[in-house]
Amino acid sequence: MEKLHYKFETKNPIQKPVHIGVVASGDLEVIFRPTDSDETVVNIVTGSDGFKEVWKNVLDRFFARYPIQANIEINDFGSTPGVVNLRLTQAMEALKDEK
Amino acid sequence: MKNSFVELRARERAEALLDDNARELVGPLDNMISPHLEPQGIVPESDDGVVLMRGTINGKNALVISIEGKFQGGGIGEVSGAKIVAALEKALEDNKAGKTIYPVIILDTGGVRLQEANYGLLSISEIQNAVIALKNYVPVIGLVPGRVGSFGGMSITASILSYLIATKKARIALNGPEVIEQEAGVREFDSSDKDLIWNTLGTKQRLATGLVDEVVEDTIDDIKKSVSDAIDAKKDAHRTEKVDFYLSLLDKLDLSKKLDIDGYRKLYSKVEAEKHVIDDAVEGTEPGTKSRGRLWFEKLTGINNAKSSVSTVLHAEKDGKEYVAIVPDANNKFPRVRDGEVGLEEGFAVASIVNKVVADDADKDVKRPIIMVVDVPSQAYGYQEELIGIHVALGSSAAAYAKARQAGHPVIAFIPGDAVSGGFLAHGLQSNRMIALDDTSITIQAMSKASAARITQRTIAELEEATKHVPAMAYDIDNYEKLGALYKLVKGIGSYDATDENVAKINSIIDDAIQSTVGKSADLHFRYETPIAIESGRKATNAVRKAVFEQWD
Repeated sequence: MEKLHYKFETKNPIQKPVHIGVVASGDLEVIFRPTDSDETVVNIVTGSDGFKEVWKNVLDRFFARYPIQANIEINDFGSTPGVVNLRLTQAMEALKDEK
Repeated sequence: MKNSFVELRARERAEALLDDNARELVGPLDNMISPHLEPQGIVPESDDGVVLMRGTINGKNALVISIEGKFQGGGIGEVSGAKIVAALEKALEDNKAGKTIYPVIILDTGGVRLQEANYGLLSISEIQNAVIALKNYVPVIGLVPGRVGSFGGMSITASILSYLIATKKARIALNGPEVIEQEAGVREFDSSDKDLIWNTLGTKQRLATGLVDEVVEDTIDDIKKSVSDAIDAKKDAHRTEKVDFYLSLLDKLDLSKKLDIDGYRKLYSKVEAEKHVIDDAVEGTEPGTKSRGRLWFEKLTGINNAKSSVSTVLHAEKDGKEYVAIVPDANNKFPRVRDGEVGLEEGFAVASIVNKVVADDADKDVKRPIIMVVDVPSQAYGYQEELIGIHVALGSSAAAYAKARQAGHPVIAFIPGDAVSGGFLAHGLQSNRMIALDDTSITIQAMSKASAARITQRTIAELEEATKHVPAMAYDIDNYEKLGALYKLVKGIGSYDATDENVAKINSIIDDAIQSTVGKSADLHFRYETPIAIESGRKATNAVRKAVFEQWD
C-alpha cells in the first residue's frame, strides 16, 4: 500500500460532494468534496506501489480538461489508468446530476 | 446481463430493492472508515463495505442492509459490523414503539473480516442478538444473491434470519472449501473440485434440504417481488428451532461411509422429528478426554468423570446455576470433533439444553443463570458437516443462548480454554458477561494462522507482524482484553489450576457477574461500555453507533 498526495492549480469550485465506485479488485472509489482553498488537493491510497508518475499523468490530463476546485480522496485497489479516468469522469457526471 | 441484480454493487442493490425514496445512513461521505486496515497496509473503503438505506419496499417502511462482496470479500470488521448492529437496534426500537419497519439484509460475505478478526466475531454475535430480538416483531428477510455468497459467521447469522432468498449464483456454507482443505486435508474436501463445491454448497442443494427457502431468477424485478412477498406474508422458516429434527437425523446417520449428496437428500426427506432430552451429566467411572473445559466443568459442578448421553456436551445444575460445557471425546463417532470442536451434534444438543432451561423457567420471576464453560478450539471442519449445514447447528445454539438472555436469564461465559471462531459464536459470544483466565495457553481468534494466512494471501510471518499493530488480529487473551469486551480477566489462575481455592474464587466472580446483570438491559451493550472499550477498544464502534443514531430519523 502507498499513500500519494498531489496539488493542482484549479479554478472551478464544486458545490456538493460526490462519491463513485467501489474498492474492488482492479477498481477504485473517488470522493470529491467542496473546498474553501484555492487549489485542489488529491489524496490517494493505493494497493499498487510504485505508480506515482502514472497517477500524475492521469491527474494532469483530467485537471487540464476539468479544472475543478475540490478536496479529492481516492481509494484504489489496483485499477488501470483507463479505469481511473472513467471513475473520475463519472464523478464529474454525478456533479452535474440535479438529483 | 440485462436487469441482473447480482451484477449490481451493494449501493445499487439497496436502491434496487427500495422504492424511489432511498436514503443512505452513514454513507461514504461520513468518514466512518476502518481504523484497522491502513496500519496493515490494506486500502480501506469509505463506507467500510456496508450500505445502510432506509425507504419503502412497495410502500412498506424498510431498512436495507447491503454488504459489498467486492470489498475485502464482504468481511465484517469493527466499523461495518457496528453499522449493521446500530441500524438493526434502531429498527428494533421503532418496531417496539409501534413504528413498523422491515429489515432486509443482503448477504454477500465471507463472514469475519480476518484482518479485524476478533472485532468481526464480536460484531457478528451482536448482529445475531439484534436479529433474534427483532424477530419478535417483524420477519428479518435475508437475500443471498452471490457471487461471494454467504460464509463463516454470517452464515450462522443467515440461519437465524426469518426467511432466506437466494439466486443460483450463490453458495452458502460455514467453512469455505479452502479452509476445510487447509484444516482437514484434501481428502476431506478438494477445494479445486468446482462441481463438488457447487453441488454441495450451491443453492439448488440448499433449497432441497431446507437451508434456503426460495431460489429466484437473477433479475431485479424477480428479486424485489420475492422480498416484498416475504415481507407481506411475514414468512418465517424457524430454521434454528428444528433441533429435534436434526438430532433425530444425526441418530440415523450412517457414519461408516461417506455421506453423498443424493444419500443426504434421501435421509433428509425421510427423517421425522422425535423429542430429544439431554439429561444432566452424571458421575462416571472412567475419566473423559482431558481438557480445560472438562476440568472446570467437573470442578464447578462437583461431578467427577462427568458423562452424558451426548459425549461432547455436558450440562448440570449446581446451586441454582445451569452449567454447559462442550468437551472433546477422543473416541467420538464424528471424527471432526474429537478435539473439542463444535460440530453438528454439539450445536443442536446445546440448543436443546438451553431451550429446555428457558421453557422450564418460563413462569418463574427469577430466571436461572446459565454458565457456559468455554474451551472450543473451533467449529468442525468437514465435508459432511457442510453438506448437512453445520451453520444451522451453530446458529441454533447461538439463538438459544440469545433468547435465554433476552428472556432474563443471566448468561455468563467462563473462558478457561480456547475460544475460537464459529465455536465461540455458538458457545460463548451470546453471553452478557465474559470472564477469562489470564493464561498464555488460551487462543481467542477467528481462524488458525495457517488458514488465515491462506485466505488473506499473506505469509504467516506477515500475519504475525500485523498482530503487533492491531490487537484484534492477535491470538492471545491479553490482546483480547484490549478490545474491552471482557467483564474480568482473572490473573494468577492458570487454565489447569482448578484447585478448591481457585474454584471458590471463580465461583464468586461468576456470582458477581450474575449480580452485575440484575436490573440491566439484556442486550450485549456491556461490551461497548467498559472503560477499556470507551477509551480505545470499541472507540470506532461507539462513533459509528452515534452517527447512525443521529441520522436515523
